[in-house]
Amino acid sequence: MDGLTPFLQNLTGGLLIGGIYALIGVGLSLIFGVMRVINFAHGDFVAIGMYTAMVLFRQLGIDPYLALVIALPAGIIVGALVQRVVLSRLVDSPGDSTLLATLGLSLVIANTLFLLFGAEPQSIFLPYATSTVTLAGIRLPVTQLIAGALTLVIIVGLWFLLNRTELGRAVRATAQNRLGAELVGVNTRSVHALVFGVGMALAMAAGIVLAPLLFAIPTVGSSYTLKAFVVTVLGGLGSIPGAIGGGLLLGVVEFMGASYLSSGYRDAYGLFAFLIILLLRPEGLFGRSVKRV
Amino acid sequence: MTTPTARTPAPSEPPGTRGPAATVFASPWSRLVVIALLGTAWFVFLPNYMSLGIALLLLAGWSTAWDLLGGWTGQTSLGHAAFVGLGAYTIGTTANEFDLAPWWAALLAMALAAVLSFVWGKLTFRLRGSYFVLASIAVAEILRLVAINERGLTGGAVGLFIFDLKEPFGVDLFNRGNEFWISLGYLLLVMSVTVLVTRGRLGYQMRAVREDEASAQAGGINPESVKLWAFVLSGALTALGGCIYGIFLSALQPQPMFELHLSVRIALVAIIGGRGTLLGPLVGAGLLTLAAELFRNVFAEANLLIYGLLIVVVVLFVPRGLMGELERRQVRRRYAKSAGS
Repeated sequence: MDGLTPFLQNLTGGLLIGGIYALIGVGLSLIFGVMRVINFAHGDFVAIGMYTAMVLFRQLGIDPYLALVIALPAGIIVGALVQRVVLSRLVDSPGDSTLLATLGLSLVIANTLFLLFGAEPQSIFLPYATSTVTLAGIRLPVTQLIAGALTLVIIVGLWFLLNRTELGRAVRATAQNRLGAELVGVNTRSVHALVFGVGMALAMAAGIVLAPLLFAIPTVGSSYTLKAFVVTVLGGLGSIPGAIGGGLLLGVVEFMGASYLSSGYRDAYGLFAFLIILLLRPEGLFGRSVKRV
Repeated sequence: MTTPTARTPAPSEPPGTRGPAATVFASPWSRLVVIALLGTAWFVFLPNYMSLGIALLLLAGWSTAWDLLGGWTGQTSLGHAAFVGLGAYTIGTTANEFDLAPWWAALLAMALAAVLSFVWGKLTFRLRGSYFVLASIAVAEILRLVAINERGLTGGAVGLFIFDLKEPFGVDLFNRGNEFWISLGYLLLVMSVTVLVTRGRLGYQMRAVREDEASAQAGGINPESVKLWAFVLSGALTALGGCIYGIFLSALQPQPMFELHLSVRIALVAIIGGRGTLLGPLVGAGLLTLAAELFRNVFAEANLLIYGLLIVVVVLFVPRGLMGELERRQVRRRYAKSAGS
């Protein structure tokens, strides 16, 4: 019994944090699946979410979870604008130009946050941040539980949007075949803008639910970009269920690795898994359809 | 030229289309001489800016080495900081633990880097495009975490200090002026290797692989071995620059050296300056180092903002990079001239 409780503790902790990774990974995967763009700025969108939550909380006293209501539409609009201004010009350009453009975007965002907020780690102290719920001997922090629940709600909402609406049908059609979608009357330019916006909003949402759990620093983005890549490659780039599975897996692997092996290498386990998957199944776990990026 | 032929413009120009002065300067060796003279001028006229000069020269050298793989062979790596770190730590560890002379340590570092890049390439060259980029980040990140966690090798997050180095011919390696000359020599060495390689058989094979792997293969080229050669050269030369950087810093910490940001800087400098051109990485390094210096008071540590803005501008409007665009225009003008006359 002694080993079991900590094991379950790690498992639930890993699954809850993994849900947030999934949220980040889903956005990245959606963007890649529809636009074939490797978005290097994705982690920086998470950082934007964290700082948005912080500013709203400090300046206006808005609870971070309520901030989602403001931040999600804002994320969609800003993301769509970025796509229109920068990425839409590169749709048919060869090689790694979109990758480099998003890398540049990532540097711009991280360093602008640095100029605005400084390098010191900042955090939000919620009155209920330290309270926990004990369930069958497992202690669960309330903030993590809320994060898990919100993640679930958002992912279900996304699933609904993609699979049960006309708009979602257009998105899926664009992902499968851009030319074909255009032939049946889908405005793929708008779909691309929308998808990038939704991806950004999802990343910002992840940042907002992470804000009460972690310290925010301007450079936090690059580590989340890496995690997002790990998540999506585990599940296969472009696959949304894959990204959810990959996110949960990464969360559990990190928690287990950190407590049973060595915590210094916490970030390395995911990367090892990432490399192994890339090498053994070069196109990801379920990535048969992706031939050449 | 009376009969314009449909051949692609070759780097070597038919005689008579340009003046003798331009022909002399078109030779890459004379460009290296000009760079050496400019470096000397910097040493003479800007003695207070030695550290800035060293930083510029090293960045240009790493970036030129990166370009062998990233530009000429078309395999974008975002992990080259690992070689810088490897070089710096090899100098530091061998000097402190085994009292090894820095020149032997530099050779050792290059050998280690060659082995590392061979294994790294063997593993990841089967990945194409963005997947290769992602894998290069992952490998470099894992090496960074090893450097932070394996205290025995690297001094961990605290770092490692180089107190004492053997002096080659009585030259004090901790003197900024001497380090400047060494860095200048390093840049010229990397550029010379680039000239020799890209003009030779391997260089043509590298460009063939960059343009189209399948066609290169059909032409009897083994893309994997070409990429491996490019990577080994690139990695070993970057590690040599890392050795100089280690001596320059003399207090080594894993953060600035293995960091993704350094890899990104090395790559972006070459891309902004122009991939697959001899002068591009140096031009990019000069531009970005000087811009960062000019705006130092405004941006403080946020100087990567300039990199970010510039790369977006370059990708959107000058996809070949500054020198690449210049070369294209020159070739076009010459071609129009020879076709028109």
